[in-house]
Amino acid sequence: MSQLNYRTINIDALDPESSTNFPMESLLPANLPQAASASDAASAATQVRQMLRGGDPEGALQTVLDTAPLGGDDRAKEVHLATVIDVLQGIRQGEMTRILEGVCSGDGGAERADCLMKYLYKGMSSSASGSGAQSPKKSVSPQATGFSQIQARNLGEGGGGQQMSVLLSWHEKLVEIAGTGSIVRVMTDRRTV
Amino acid sequence: MSQSLRPYLHVRSSLTAALTISNFASQASERHNTPQVEARDSPELLLNPLHISRNENEKVFIEPSRNSVRVSIRIKQADEIEHILVHKFTRFLTQRAESFFILRRKPVEGFDISFLITNFHTEKMLTHKLIDFVIEFMEEVDKEISEMKLFLNARARFVAESFLTPFD
Amino acid sequence: MTTPQVHHLFHAPIADHSFSTDKQTLAVARENNVELYQQSGNKFALSDELKGHEKTVTSVDIAPNSGRIVTCSQDRNAYVWEKTPSGWKPTLVLLRINRAATFVRWSPSEQKFAVGSGARVIAVCYFEEENDWWISKHLKKPIRSTITTLAWHPNSVLLAAGSTDSHARVFSSFIKGIDTRPEPSAWGERLPFNTICGEYLNDTAGWIQGVAFSPSGNALAFTGHDSSVTVVYPSAPEQPPRAMLNISTRMLPLNSLIWNGETEIIAAGHDCEPFRFRGDENGWQLAGSLENKAGDAGGAREESALNMFRQMDLKGQASADTKLKSTHQNTVNTIRVHEEANGAVSSFSTSGVDGRVVVWSA
Repeated sequence: MSQLNYRTINIDALDPESSTNFPMESLLPANLPQAASASDAASAATQVRQMLRGGDPEGALQTVLDTAPLGGDDRAKEVHLATVIDVLQGIRQGEMTRILEGVCSGDGGAERADCLMKYLYKGMSSSASGSGAQSPKKSVSPQATGFSQIQARNLGEGGGGQQMSVLLSWHEKLVEIAGTGSIVRVMTDRRTV
Repeated sequence: MSQSLRPYLHVRSSLTAALTISNFASQASERHNTPQVEARDSPELLLNPLHISRNENEKVFIEPSRNSVRVSIRIKQADEIEHILVHKFTRFLTQRAESFFILRRKPVEGFDISFLITNFHTEKMLTHKLIDFVIEFMEEVDKEISEMKLFLNARARFVAESFLTPFD
Repeated sequence: MTTPQVHHLFHAPIADHSFSTDKQTLAVARENNVELYQQSGNKFALSDELKGHEKTVTSVDIAPNSGRIVTCSQDRNAYVWEKTPSGWKPTLVLLRINRAATFVRWSPSEQKFAVGSGARVIAVCYFEEENDWWISKHLKKPIRSTITTLAWHPNSVLLAAGSTDSHARVFSSFIKGIDTRPEPSAWGERLPFNTICGEYLNDTAGWIQGVAFSPSGNALAFTGHDSSVTVVYPSAPEQPPRAMLNISTRMLPLNSLIWNGETEIIAAGHDCEPFRFRGDENGWQLAGSLENKAGDAGGAREESALNMFRQMDLKGQASADTKLKSTHQNTVNTIRVHEEANGAVSSFSTSGVDGRVVVWSA
């Protein structure tokens, strides 16, 4: 006990009344759908890929956004993110605006636009942090440079450039249609994708 | 022009959305008014952070909160020379952080340079001009680094040549 | 549409402003003081300063009939200022809060006022004759975060509050001996102190920035940081609302709003200009900006970004856009009714971070 450094204890964390312990779940609306599991997400993915192959990219995008696992666990969300990115990559540049206008109009169009915006930001963040560990480190110079303050880092152009540019061009088109309000809602909405 | 500047447009719209901040007194400590994004004492006052990345090594990270926004930039480093240059360059700037107002002394982990914009900055300066500054910085730093690298290579060649001339 | 009257008072943020009933006096919260301006001709000239707060003043309100001014600040205090022959005399209010006071408004009856705070309570304050003091009673449950905004129901008992916990709530602030028993309404029949008559959360969450009751008091509107305006029509006590309509916009978040009649809302915020919303129980939509300029704001912004880069290529031109197209040059914090008759607003005033107070015709 005497080893414990009392000065470093965050006493606010121990007080249930303190603002640090704000119940974040109280920010979720009551109508949140049931938690989806990874297998649900996978079955949705098969359905969506079929639509994409069948030449219905608009329907595929609409379905994939309507079935977003807002209440799901992390695994389900990851599977669904992969599906969304597949769909986005499967749509040609020239068709983007037309498809977006279709998806973001009609009943629930605004929600779909917000949902897509969430996926765009999530797509950009996940591969930015995730693939760093997977991709093999490229060592540029064979000799040590002698600069000790430089940690080993991933140099080079970096992976995921292709996927990013797809997401960025979607982002640009979507901001044109849904406005900055949609980005604000990505930040405030606690129902993450 | 459009192709190279495109990514900055995404940063612009994201920053515009994030910089909707206002004066807000701390609810954790009495009579204090601290940037929530640094104090992090109330989770509901922090919003979901945003990533904008061009690729793995060029990205912008925006952490919005009720009265402050933290913007972190990872600058492109294609090889070790650029890495050294970026390191020296950002170090030079952060050492003089007080004259840059919004510059943070220490970058957020995983990034090369960070800005902390509070409601007091947006009150004194025009929000869209602040965004212009961040974007101009991103453009300039890329340009600066490649120029320095070119200069370094030219210098190296010159030095090598002048070493070799006496033995002609 | 007549051009708005712009009063550029100083280069500092105005947290809140309030006009007296005769519109001759204007009180604005500037840093640690409240400044009083008197109208002379077309202009407002500084006439008095209310000094006493030690931290940023967050809110100020002039009672329409009695002329008393109430102010509150981040130093945790609130003062009631009364005009005496020797100047304005402050009376400290016993708030009993230990965090910043964020918002204050007189009730329509002027017998009470409510102070929102960062201590997760609303202090409902009233005058106690025996002790010659303003004392307070706390509305506590179930507030989980700082109160950002308050609005009174016309009956002076119901109080709407918005908070950074993303909930807009309607409370009863009934105080025995001060209030007369209110008529039963859709909000509730028996209303003891701290009854929660409604608690609303948007799907997209977002801190609540502004609340307002409609002139009849039978509908509540609130704006959130999710760039949306929500209108709630209550059905009966303890029942879910008859309708809860959310209008999500493509703009930046709105900070403050007022009703104009039962079918129109005017709101302003980070876009620096006021917007009009129209609708009823069956649906609401954005009707456009009240700013005197043509064209779509969002489209113009994208284009101006492109133009700006073009100008920056040519260098030296980058400083050409230091002025915004809107009347306000920075975020609008407060919007208030200026002149009205039976709930129909003929003019309203806005104030913002740019140090301007603008009077608009609705």
